[in-house]
Amino acid sequence: MNATLSSPVRVSALGAVMAGFMLAASPAHADRIEKHFAVQSKPKITVRNSSGRIQVKAWTKQEVQVAWTSPSGKTVVETEQAGNRIEVAKLMNEDGAAGDDSKTDFEITVPIESELSVRTDSGNVTVDSVHGDMTFDTVGANLQLSDVNGYMVVKTIDGSLVCNRCAGKLEANSISGNVQMIQPALDSVRVQTSSGNIFFDGSFLSRGIYIMKNFSGTIEVHFSSNDSFDVNASSLKGDVINQATFKPDTHGTPHAASKWGHSLFGTMNDGHAKVELSSFSGTIKILQRE
Amino acid sequence: MNMQCEQFEQMLEQQELGALPKPAQSHLETCAACRALSADFSAIHEMALELGAEDIAPPERVWISLRNQLEAERLIHDPQEAPRSASQSGSGWWAAIQRPALAGAFLGLVLAAGSALGYFSNAPQISVQSPLMPQQEASSMPSADSVFKEEVLTVGSDSIPGLQRQDTAVTDSIRRNLQIVDNFIAICEKSVREQPDNQMAREYLYGAYQQKAELLATAMNRSMTGGLQ
Repeated sequence: MNATLSSPVRVSALGAVMAGFMLAASPAHADRIEKHFAVQSKPKITVRNSSGRIQVKAWTKQEVQVAWTSPSGKTVVETEQAGNRIEVAKLMNEDGAAGDDSKTDFEITVPIESELSVRTDSGNVTVDSVHGDMTFDTVGANLQLSDVNGYMVVKTIDGSLVCNRCAGKLEANSISGNVQMIQPALDSVRVQTSSGNIFFDGSFLSRGIYIMKNFSGTIEVHFSSNDSFDVNASSLKGDVINQATFKPDTHGTPHAASKWGHSLFGTMNDGHAKVELSSFSGTIKILQRE
Repeated sequence: MNMQCEQFEQMLEQQELGALPKPAQSHLETCAACRALSADFSAIHEMALELGAEDIAPPERVWISLRNQLEAERLIHDPQEAPRSASQSGSGWWAAIQRPALAGAFLGLVLAAGSALGYFSNAPQISVQSPLMPQQEASSMPSADSVFKEEVLTVGSDSIPGLQRQDTAVTDSIRRNLQIVDNFIAICEKSVREQPDNQMAREYLYGAYQQKAELLATAMNRSMTGGLQ
């Protein structure tokens, strides 16, 4: 009995799925392999790798170009397109290559307005000039985002994050990785790392909420005198070093100094943004740019 | 017919509390990997029951938040079956959490529940001992934490059903960061023990537990999928 094949519904559903998908499984070589996918509007690109570099950059074409190289030739890359959804996955070959043998480098070019989902274990990930929501899940891979705009969610174990001129919202969680935000235009920041350092050098936007928390690293914040924000900084066993002049916080309930550790509450200008800095044993530095 | 490891895993998932069926028991006698998996499940479940027996239950929103997070991360597939409260925890958990992140998600729930119990308790003399700490005298079995780590990080991946070869750099990274988080937990526990009314120390302890749960879930997930899913 073949119930599956005898069912017209199942057969037509299967046919539709097969027709909608383009599955390309190609053995990887040291040579560069390139694939092109025509897309409309805002595509969503999902990339799964375990080891190797992933570079994503934007262009003005309504096309996604995926190129990869695998020095060992022991990996297989599978690509799939279903409308505006494109998936790229590095698979192991039958030998189950590990370490350097499993390394595959990707260069992916996408329309400016694109969504990204990247998951990799090790190797650097760079994303340049893409506007759209993005998620990154890495173990040790370092991540560098430049001129991106969207809702960015980063989860890493000991990879670092460098965010240059990022706009939108950022959520980042790491255990031992460092997080740097340089010239950001972010109106929502939730960054947490355990032993890593957090560095913020930019402006606190009106109505923005900025929460930065670590366990033992340094949190360093540089802001401009034009910024308007309330600050609440606390370190249970470390220091809070402040080089700015704050007014007492006039918003909400008055803050009483904690009997534990060091803390600072204050307002810069009208307090339009909210900044919370918290560390268990690390040092918090609040520095005002000239 | 001899049962295969995959069939055993499926049976373990579907199994309500009680003795395993005879074919599964026979398989256990001959398969060390499945024996370890079964022991892990039993240990986690015992710990969960112990948590459930506590007087202080975490608020409903903790479970809702956990369920949402697990669903968002696709660690559980059927929200209807997800645990609603500590008092309802029991065999339903078994069915609610699907492979391959089964043990990771389950342990995450247990760890998070433990942290929630500590964090949300207002009792000044809170016990800050982790619910999964090996010092527990009530049970002579190995801690779920240690069994889990043993399976994920030290047992050769080829010997565990469904596991693919793990990148040693990834394993080292996870191991190193587990040590970091364990160290933070110990420091936080010491702080809370010394300063029971220090809310900030409690919050950090809660956060450290949460990180550990997430790290173990990640480790299990990466291990089971060979880094890809």
